[in-house]
Amino acid sequence: MSAIQTRALSKRYGDVVALDSLSLAVGDGECYGFLGPNGAGKSTTINILTGQLVPDDGEARVAGVDPVETPVEARRHVGILPESGRPPSFLTVREYFEFAAATREFDPATAADRVEAWAERLEFAHKLDTLCTDLSQGDLDPIMQERVKEFFETYRAAGNTLFLSTHFVETAAEVCTQVGIINRGRLLEELRPRGMDGDALLDRFFASVDEDVAEATLARSSTG
Amino acid sequence: MTSTGYLLRLMAVEEWRLRSHVFGGRRFALFPLFVAGVAAGTAAFFGLANADAGLLIDGLHLVVAALGLQVGTVGLVGRDALEDLLGETALLLFSARALPVEPRKLLVAFLVKDVAFYTVLFLLPLTVGLVPLVVLADVPAARLPLLFGTTAGVFAVGVAASVALVGVHTRSRLASTAVVAVTVVALVADGGRLLSVTPYGLLSGVTPAAVAGSVLLPLGLGAVGVALFRFDRRTPTRTAENRFGRLRGRLGGADGQGLLAKSLLDVVRSSGGLWKVVFSQGLVFAVLAVLLAFVPDVVPIRLEPGLTVASVLALGSFTAYNWLCQFDDTGFYLRYPVALSAVFRAKLLGFCLLALPSGLAFLALGGLVFGTGTMLVGIAVFAPLSLYVFGVTAYVAGLEPTELLFDTPVFAAFTLAMMVVLVPLVVAAIVFELWPAGLAVGSVVYASLAGGVGLVLYRRAGPRWERLALTGDA
Repeated sequence: MSAIQTRALSKRYGDVVALDSLSLAVGDGECYGFLGPNGAGKSTTINILTGQLVPDDGEARVAGVDPVETPVEARRHVGILPESGRPPSFLTVREYFEFAAATREFDPATAADRVEAWAERLEFAHKLDTLCTDLSQGDLDPIMQERVKEFFETYRAAGNTLFLSTHFVETAAEVCTQVGIINRGRLLEELRPRGMDGDALLDRFFASVDEDVAEATLARSSTG
Repeated sequence: MTSTGYLLRLMAVEEWRLRSHVFGGRRFALFPLFVAGVAAGTAAFFGLANADAGLLIDGLHLVVAALGLQVGTVGLVGRDALEDLLGETALLLFSARALPVEPRKLLVAFLVKDVAFYTVLFLLPLTVGLVPLVVLADVPAARLPLLFGTTAGVFAVGVAASVALVGVHTRSRLASTAVVAVTVVALVADGGRLLSVTPYGLLSGVTPAAVAGSVLLPLGLGAVGVALFRFDRRTPTRTAENRFGRLRGRLGGADGQGLLAKSLLDVVRSSGGLWKVVFSQGLVFAVLAVLLAFVPDVVPIRLEPGLTVASVLALGSFTAYNWLCQFDDTGFYLRYPVALSAVFRAKLLGFCLLALPSGLAFLALGGLVFGTGTMLVGIAVFAPLSLYVFGVTAYVAGLEPTELLFDTPVFAAFTLAMMVVLVPLVVAAIVFELWPAGLAVGSVVYASLAGGVGLVLYRRAGPRWERLALTGDA
């Protein structure tokens, strides 16, 4: 069974095609690395999967929930690590964790336990079995980058599903069980990177994207 | 070396893009027309009511000076304030942190740009809007260019005075308090002489002293402010006791997801705390109390105090909604399993906890000043009218009410919605004496109907903004 599935997802912003009929499937317990240049459609995909945006066309299902029809329910079942965004201005760190627990309507004892654990470790640790992350690891120092990578590995080893949008090809090669390369809103290639190192995956990434860019340039010049 | 002129040009472009793209696209260009329209309506009312045009002109200068004082501080209070208002915004003003640009030069360019921007897009249409005074109140047409000059001058003095005060404040809080105290004392003791050397003095006669004062005062104050201003490169920090859990516990079932507790803490912990709600309504009440005492001397009408105070206080409750929403936005809530309807419900509960008790307290105080009977009518209409203001604001502006003030069509829709309800009540307040019992009952019924409309709009606000946010149109 697929923890995450999309079928022909499309989204436009005015004249810009953000997603062009994107179909993919991520099995239970997989870590899916989503690689692509800026503007490729990674964040749009994650926003749709996590009930923050509706597509113009297509279908999606995450953790058994349709994020288009029931976006709040999708957010209840899926953890989100956004690309950007700051915690609320006037809450302390502990209060912010309490707020996050309150929005998920945890019972008081569970909420207290989780908040205590969060506050002690100052780490994200969603107790959900599906996590979509658009986190920019480049903003983290090398120690935190390593800890985030360890978290991803531990999270997946526990049988959870991770949908990881990243620019860090090395992280994708080490952590992900499956990688999708996206550009101009289209899924160019899917591969299983087991055994590949970061350089090899980077070469595949450039080859895919370069071919797509060349194709787009050719199409533009022939129509122009 | 980066020249001030170059910075000024860049900042002018930045200002236009900020306003036009953040606040309603090119529709922002309609803003001057809207300002001119509102000014023309007010001027026509004064002309038709045969009221003292001089009073309107004096009031105009007072408002413009206050606007100048406010504009002079916004750019200087720092990045945090701008981020709270606009989200993550980086302006050229702050670029001295990363680029080799002289901060004082940036400050000068920023202030000159602000004065020019408001003069052209706000004060010029405001002056054009005074044309009805020429037709209806015998104000000479030749006086309008002078009025444009004096309002622009008074605005510049306001901006420069703020800059000077903030400059002094960065050196010594005591000194800035002393400057404020001395200025207030001087204005109270001999305001006439003081004002005669400001641009306002030009209205009494274009004398060399008045011209010199009008030019030198803003330049001098601005120069003092820029020279004294000490740039603080520290990142401000805030500390607070953990109270979210306790507060949410006390609110019980009314706040299952903690949305109300968060909103209340935002208001309590932001500058001014809970007092800003009381202060803003108190200010409105005090101004109204004075106006109600003096209006019969200016315009031959007697406004019914209860209806008047309640209507204006209800309109002013918009600020409480603004504070409840100022520190979060739609995008923030979309990351949690929270329906926007639940967020609006929390804002409504917060609004009822903050704006209603404070407004009702001032209406009760009004009972001592104007009599219990009249204020009972006010108390009866205040809550439903406030609900109407809440519903309209939530529906029209969503969780970003600050932007409403800058998006001309949205602001026009908001103004129209307010006028539809408030104008009949003001008319009822004017003719109240003719049929007190009937108009009291009628006003309460009318306000209750408005409250019902507010309730419907509030209920529709959540689904509306959720749909707009999810389609990427918000």
